[in-house]
Amino acid sequence: MAIFTIDDVEKTFKSGDVSEKILKGVDLDLNEGEITALVGPSGSGKSTILTIAAGLQKATGGQVLFEGKDMTQMSQEEIRKIRSSEFGFVFQSSHLVPFLTVEDQLLLMLDVAETKLNKKQQKQEVSKVLDLVGMSHRKDAYPSSLSGGEKQRVAIARAIIHQPKMLFADEPTASLDSKRSKEVMEIIRNLTKTLKITTLMVTHDEDMLPYADRIVTMKDGLIE
Amino acid sequence: MQMAWKEVKKSKMKFLILGSIIFLVSFLTFIISGLANGLSEDNAALIKNVPNGQFYLNEDAKQTYNLSKIDIDQQDKLLADYKGATAMSIQMGFVNDTDDKQHSVAFVTSTDSELFPNVKDNEVVLDASLKDDGIKVGDILTNNQFSGEFKVVGFAEKQTYSHAPVAFISMKNYQEIYRVMEMQTVFIPGSDSPDSIKGLESFNNKEFLNTIPSYGAEQMSLNMIIWFLVVISGMLFAIFFYMMNVQKIGLYGILKAIGVKTISLFSMMWYQMLLITAVSLVLSVGLSQVFSMVAPAGMPFSLPIETSLLLSGVFLVIGFIGATISGFQIKKVEPLQAIQQGEM
Repeated sequence: MAIFTIDDVEKTFKSGDVSEKILKGVDLDLNEGEITALVGPSGSGKSTILTIAAGLQKATGGQVLFEGKDMTQMSQEEIRKIRSSEFGFVFQSSHLVPFLTVEDQLLLMLDVAETKLNKKQQKQEVSKVLDLVGMSHRKDAYPSSLSGGEKQRVAIARAIIHQPKMLFADEPTASLDSKRSKEVMEIIRNLTKTLKITTLMVTHDEDMLPYADRIVTMKDGLIE
Repeated sequence: MQMAWKEVKKSKMKFLILGSIIFLVSFLTFIISGLANGLSEDNAALIKNVPNGQFYLNEDAKQTYNLSKIDIDQQDKLLADYKGATAMSIQMGFVNDTDDKQHSVAFVTSTDSELFPNVKDNEVVLDASLKDDGIKVGDILTNNQFSGEFKVVGFAEKQTYSHAPVAFISMKNYQEIYRVMEMQTVFIPGSDSPDSIKGLESFNNKEFLNTIPSYGAEQMSLNMIIWFLVVISGMLFAIFFYMMNVQKIGLYGILKAIGVKTISLFSMMWYQMLLITAVSLVLSVGLSQVFSMVAPAGMPFSLPIETSLLLSGVFLVIGFIGATISGFQIKKVEPLQAIQQGEM
């Protein structure tokens, strides 16, 4: 059953008198607990559709339905609330907060998501999730002392600690070597399957495709 | 708040530098404020010590008390009509002590009044600062324009005028020294709305202070320095937080992307600004108060704690405004822009 529907979404970028249509009517259903990989050449519009779906930019036309509600009709504040409590994000760079320890990064996300856990429960949850990504031993470390792979594991932990319904991953392994990439993808796959998180992932790395349940190819602003 | 504190803890040096600058600027402001206050006291303590009221000068004096002369009949009528009214004169002069050493003083005389010491003919009450020059009760002082001698009968605390200690003398002695029968001004205490008196111009205490030569110019330049420093500190906050915000644009974008409210990011900045300013101000208020206690006796320095607290309040408001103006960048940050920037 589709938890997320992208319906005839268009996006046009304007620069002065010049306008360029990047998305030309994209339709895509995402099913609960499924990992969908978006692939395609550079400029095909895969990152644009991911950021529109994640509520990070607006579509020029069409609908983006999350649990039946049209996000294109929502206010910025309504979208922010959905992003903080229902969505998780993993980007090409880990984008961790440089002055927070690994544990604090996750506690911050629980605060932002306004979970009803008390301090003790929050710490227990953090400990559990760090175990899942194999980072318990580095909970007091700052990002500057972590390797690229470790940072990305923490970013994944931050993305799923509040148990979101959707995970958006934009080339999550692009900055990692092949060994670390596989480790990270295994973690994403295991976690999303365990927690039944619906995942939309953009990748250009064919080695990552076996971890997806469905592969969608984009070309020239359309799904092939 | 926790996030703001954790950033301060992690980036100690960055915040220490800003804190040091704010400390130095606010300390300098307090010191100059103390000097301005001290000079103001030194220049006009005599007038500042009288209660609120109205000083009347002759209209022809062009707002210069030195040139004012109140007609004797009019003076008598005013003293009779207004309870507590006092006619008085002030003129700069010299006295010579027993060793023939000359001391600059401001001779002050008045009709009978509770506001000033009442002295008999050939007696003088001096400002207590002259004790430091070795003058004591019972000493005999002279003046080359006065035929008699002055016997020192007492000292009054903090009675200075135009940076000179005041010498209270009788009206008869004053009239002999300055060859004048009329007084310069009539002071009527307590009248907020001055009565219009024909031929006279009224000044409240503050306005009268500005008729003292150099008082206005001196205070204006010192106050200008004080407010300039306050504005500089506001700009420092704005510039510092602007630089910090520029560095953190990517971070703010990511925090916004994961759902952190813009107001939370502003709160984080305000908390840091408040923390740095409060710590800096506590240190500079404390140190300036210590300075106030140990300042050399000859230095005109007066820094009441009320003035320090008032200036501290101004610093906090200016810091808040400076930080907030620089924070408008936070509002404009787009999460997408931050994500595309890559690693922070």
